[in-house]
Amino acid sequence: MKINAPFVEKILTKFIKEELSKFQYKKGILGISGGLDSAVSAFLAVKALGANNVIGLVLPYGEMSRSCEKDAQDVVNTLKIRSKKIDISPMVDTYFKHHPSSDRRQKGNKMARERMSILYDFSEREHALIIGTSNKTELLLGYGTIHGDMACAINPLGDLYKTQIRQLAAYLGVPEHVRKKVPTAGLWAGQTDEDELGLTYKEIDQILFLLVDKRMPREKVIDSGFAKEKVNKIIRLIKGSEFKRKLPLIPKISERTVGHDFLFPYDWDR
Amino acid sequence: MKVALAQIAPRLGDIQHNLKLHQNIAAKAKKENVDLLIFPELSLTGYTLKDLTQDIAIDARKDAVFKKLKVLSQGMPLVFGFVEEGEDGLIYNSSAFLSQGQTLHIHRKVFLPTYGMFEEGKFFAQGKNFRTFSTPFGKAGMMICYDFLHYGASYLLFAGGSGLNIITSAAPGRGVTGDSSFATSSMWELMGKTIARFSSAFVFYCNRVGLEDGKVFAGGSFIYNPAGNLIAQAPYVDEDFLVADIDLEEIKTFRKKWPYRRDDKPEIILEALKRIVKNYED
Repeated sequence: MKINAPFVEKILTKFIKEELSKFQYKKGILGISGGLDSAVSAFLAVKALGANNVIGLVLPYGEMSRSCEKDAQDVVNTLKIRSKKIDISPMVDTYFKHHPSSDRRQKGNKMARERMSILYDFSEREHALIIGTSNKTELLLGYGTIHGDMACAINPLGDLYKTQIRQLAAYLGVPEHVRKKVPTAGLWAGQTDEDELGLTYKEIDQILFLLVDKRMPREKVIDSGFAKEKVNKIIRLIKGSEFKRKLPLIPKISERTVGHDFLFPYDWDR
Repeated sequence: MKVALAQIAPRLGDIQHNLKLHQNIAAKAKKENVDLLIFPELSLTGYTLKDLTQDIAIDARKDAVFKKLKVLSQGMPLVFGFVEEGEDGLIYNSSAFLSQGQTLHIHRKVFLPTYGMFEEGKFFAQGKNFRTFSTPFGKAGMMICYDFLHYGASYLLFAGGSGLNIITSAAPGRGVTGDSSFATSSMWELMGKTIARFSSAFVFYCNRVGLEDGKVFAGGSFIYNPAGNLIAQAPYVDEDFLVADIDLEEIKTFRKKWPYRRDDKPEIILEALKRIVKNYED
């Protein structure tokens, strides 16, 4: 799963640059959480577009994650990009005051969608295209909020596993304390991805790599030394989240259906 | 003889823009005294056309853009790729070899990749032949991208006497490893070297670059001589204009030394193939 970081950086910056220019955008915008993925996306965006053309939104929920906010600020400062901090707690709290919930995941999803909503609004204000931050591990496991943190215009990280992002981050010069911190989706205080998933990213990525990239049957993956329960859990998560990787289903009743046999390139007329 | 491979990034669905691109590069090639200029697969249209395929198809016998490219070939023979509407109304992924204002040959892609990220079989009709044809430089044959990954196609050009195998390609790169190129690039190079060596023919592989819908076209265009030696190679992923001097005499020299072609037995292969096809199990 080793990657050649300079080659990958070259491809991904080319991708960002070309896609933005096709859609006649000069600027990119993204949410900076203080975590590894958004830091790497921001570093790539700056390499592709220049620091003047990247806007980082720091969108904390009140005081919940002070340290994340500080890390996000470090990324912004290192890259010298324009940034804006918007506390999402007034909007989220107002909503839950009217529609209370004790489900912390539900609350976390709402926060992710609040951030998405602000990002899209600022995309319009700034005429800047939203650059995604979801990695391949998250996309395959469905470990993200649909129409929340998964929402974006282009996603340079979508074909790199978390452990590969770490390799890339080291090469790009992402600050060490951001690279070394424990990954969290930030859905609630003290949450960590690996605790919630019950597996380490190293294990997850190795299993995903064999199942997905190498097309290895389940039994062979287990035979190659991974615990049956872990492999089964990962397969269950992949299957359960297919809807997050697709457009909504449409009953195909006309002579030609959007997304089915009305098929045009994303780069149509660009 | 001077051969140039134009490793370009055509604009998707924009024939006029791409025609200009062809004309500009041809002017540059002319200045450098290039004898044969090769563009990649679907160089006139871009690759990921999907439902645009039908709208962008042109009839080689009457289309105005095609005529302009014929005019361009008066200065220098050239190969380019386009979406062809056949006389039968079917749409093909084609490459044309033009020289002196004439169409010497049009190859219609036979092997249409329809798996994984590829869906050509959904939008194109398949070609039915691999013909060799005479050029000012001797007998040549053409293949388009996935054609070249089926070595039976190369065998037909070999049996047909081609000394110049021209492969136009729009091959995306797949697989990032520790190397500074896509894993799939070495697959094309392996085939290029092997086919050149065992066909005792030149292999000109012109791939495109640029991105379409997230596909990253890998570049890395190359030329192998009939001994299977790499003559020149363009960089991966970046645009390039690769010009190389080749010695056509090497075809004869190599065929004298290694008589693969003299000792070829197409009749036996043909009969064996007939038997194999006849005995397919239902």
